[in-house]
Amino acid sequence: MTRLADGIDVEGPVQAEVFVVWLHDERVELTGPCGSAPWMLEIGEAEHPVEVVTRIVRAAIGEPIVVHSTSWRRDRGAVILSFVVVIDPGLVGSMESEPVARTDLARSEATAAPREIAHTQVVEHGLRHLAWLVHDDPVVAAELSPAWAAALADYVPEPFRALG
Amino acid sequence: MNDAITVRCVCGWETTGPTEDVIAATRDHGERIHNMAATREQIMAMAVATPTMAPPSEAVIDTGTGGGAPRP
Repeated sequence: MTRLADGIDVEGPVQAEVFVVWLHDERVELTGPCGSAPWMLEIGEAEHPVEVVTRIVRAAIGEPIVVHSTSWRRDRGAVILSFVVVIDPGLVGSMESEPVARTDLARSEATAAPREIAHTQVVEHGLRHLAWLVHDDPVVAAELSPAWAAALADYVPEPFRALG
Repeated sequence: MNDAITVRCVCGWETTGPTEDVIAATRDHGERIHNMAATREQIMAMAVATPTMAPPSEAVIDTGTGGGAPRP
């Protein structure tokens, strides 16, 4: 751990950034122990990131519906693995929550990563990824309700919508 | 005056109280919410002395991030 002006913080060569999402009146919202801010987890040398995220979410919030890694990037002196975690509305409790705002994606160059990536862009990418999985992955499709499929419909690119 | 200290996490969680209580609360927060393991020395290196007149019985003030009771 590192002492920062703002307090203790996770460190290590691999870190997970968790975005906990739920459906509030058919609208996707972000929540978690850190509210709508990214929820950072340390990933130990011998730990599997998906197992860590699932275990910590299960212990801190409750049983997740879907845990899926949707992107990665280099930041904070580490490789950051971004996860979208879908939870049941009944687990939100007193955690702060905010609606997800749409934004443009951070686009890579042909052979280079984007120079800057905002958290909102990571969430946008994650939800587009989830929207694709709803159409492409039978496991995710089975876990997410029709209400989720409807909420994610706007995140699906036009060619996929036509195939849906 | 008690020897209260404060430790803050970048996620917004913060705890203030007697040293041993703050160390225990910080370890719990780190392990439970961030999968971090912190030693006493590491925690104390991040602690800030907090002038307070609060009696020991008021102990740790946990701003409480971390999870959810079901909504009423």
